[in-house]
Amino acid sequence: MRLFSKRSEANFEGGGLVLFQEVQHAMLAEKVLRSAGYEVRLVAPPPELRKGCDLALEVNLVEQPGIERVLGDRDMSYVSIEPVKTRTAPLLEVVRVTDFGDWVMVKAGNMKVTFDKSTGVIVNVSGGGCPDIPYLHAELIGRPLAQAPRPRDLGFTLCALNLERGLEECQSIHVGGVRA
Amino acid sequence: MLIVGTVPVRGMPLVLGEAALEGYHLLVDGQRIPCTQGTGAMVSAALATTAYLGIDPPHALLVGDTGDGRGSREMYRYLIDRVAGLSPGVLALHYWLPIMSLTRALCTAIDRCQRRPFMIADAGSMYSAKAAGLAEAFDVFTPDATEVAFLADPEATHPAYIARHLFETDVSRAPELARAAYDNHGAAGLLVVKGSTDYIMRDGEVLATVGEPDVPALEAIGGTGDTITGLVTALVHAGLEPWEAAVIAARTNRMAGKYAAVTPATRVSEVIAQFPAVFRDHLCEWSGVCYVKGERSHGGG
Repeated sequence: MRLFSKRSEANFEGGGLVLFQEVQHAMLAEKVLRSAGYEVRLVAPPPELRKGCDLALEVNLVEQPGIERVLGDRDMSYVSIEPVKTRTAPLLEVVRVTDFGDWVMVKAGNMKVTFDKSTGVIVNVSGGGCPDIPYLHAELIGRPLAQAPRPRDLGFTLCALNLERGLEECQSIHVGGVRA
Repeated sequence: MLIVGTVPVRGMPLVLGEAALEGYHLLVDGQRIPCTQGTGAMVSAALATTAYLGIDPPHALLVGDTGDGRGSREMYRYLIDRVAGLSPGVLALHYWLPIMSLTRALCTAIDRCQRRPFMIADAGSMYSAKAAGLAEAFDVFTPDATEVAFLADPEATHPAYIARHLFETDVSRAPELARAAYDNHGAAGLLVVKGSTDYIMRDGEVLATVGEPDVPALEAIGGTGDTITGLVTALVHAGLEPWEAAVIAARTNRMAGKYAAVTPATRVSEVIAQFPAVFRDHLCEWSGVCYVKGERSHGGG
């Protein structure tokens, strides 16, 4: 028996908005996401975020990748997912590389991926705080970069999105043969 | 001491019980949990500390969640309903899906406890506490350099979205960012900022820094931030002042990394395995807690 579900709550505050061109798209997406177990709420987007119609879906911003996957799988039409707080921007634009000699560590936002330069095998994943990260840690370690499962496919959260960015950069460095 | 968090075991039911070690796994209420990055590493670090000190092991409230948040929601609900009855002296919250409304409900439930627990948060629970505007209800946060930038941004609800001027999160800026976090009500009473130099801060002031031994490879090892949080939790439970617990935790983690001769490919369990040796060699000097195992029952210092 399922004891708890993700039913919408009166005091739901998610920090993210799914924006749509058409009102009916928003209403359909609400139904689809609810049936997938996500907590959502139909709201009016603030003027600075309005890109299409006057209806948006408030979602838990942390769950952005999982929500994008559900909407994509159902071929649902939407404009974008945005943070309600408009003065923030995605940190995954910032990538840093640390050379440890035999290993390279790539930091993307709050996530770090480290691989062996000679074999291209992922040796460690660190950072983050969402529940998919320890799972992805176990799934990625020991895998060659080219064969590693994608965090965007297995993960659900913004931490997984940063990890995906870090993994992409690792693959780029390894394929490019960047060595110290 | 109650440690709460999700573990990456698909379908694992919610369990509550004393933590024990079984080989390279934790055992809680009959469930075997890998000692890897996340709550597993945190509980293992706390358990290694309590075992050395000869005090009660940590209780752990754990649930399987691989990211969809179902386990997290069950855990929030359980804790909201039961925290008053559980009445932990130290409550350490760790990995879970950050959900602002449920964090708010939890803090309301904690406010109704007869005895307020000492509150520690790291990882997803720190994210949700800050995002919900409840950071100041906590006694300790243990962010890294990126996460302290998130705490400093009054509008951010997750470290993945922060103001552009905070993007350059070099750890040398940690005191400045931590001060901004305090000013913006985004900080717990004590901040333990983990990095190449660890900063222990209260009310915007640096109480202590820990930079030695310098073991850069620790940053790459998944779980070595979780171990600091587990050490702080256990040492506060043991009776140390929080700032002192934080300093000893930071030193212990670094020294264990040195003892284990870590590389970026080392597993966190290899670091935790060195904690007893580090305590044996340094805890007396660092804390003034000096006794030989077995002496305490005879009144040994």
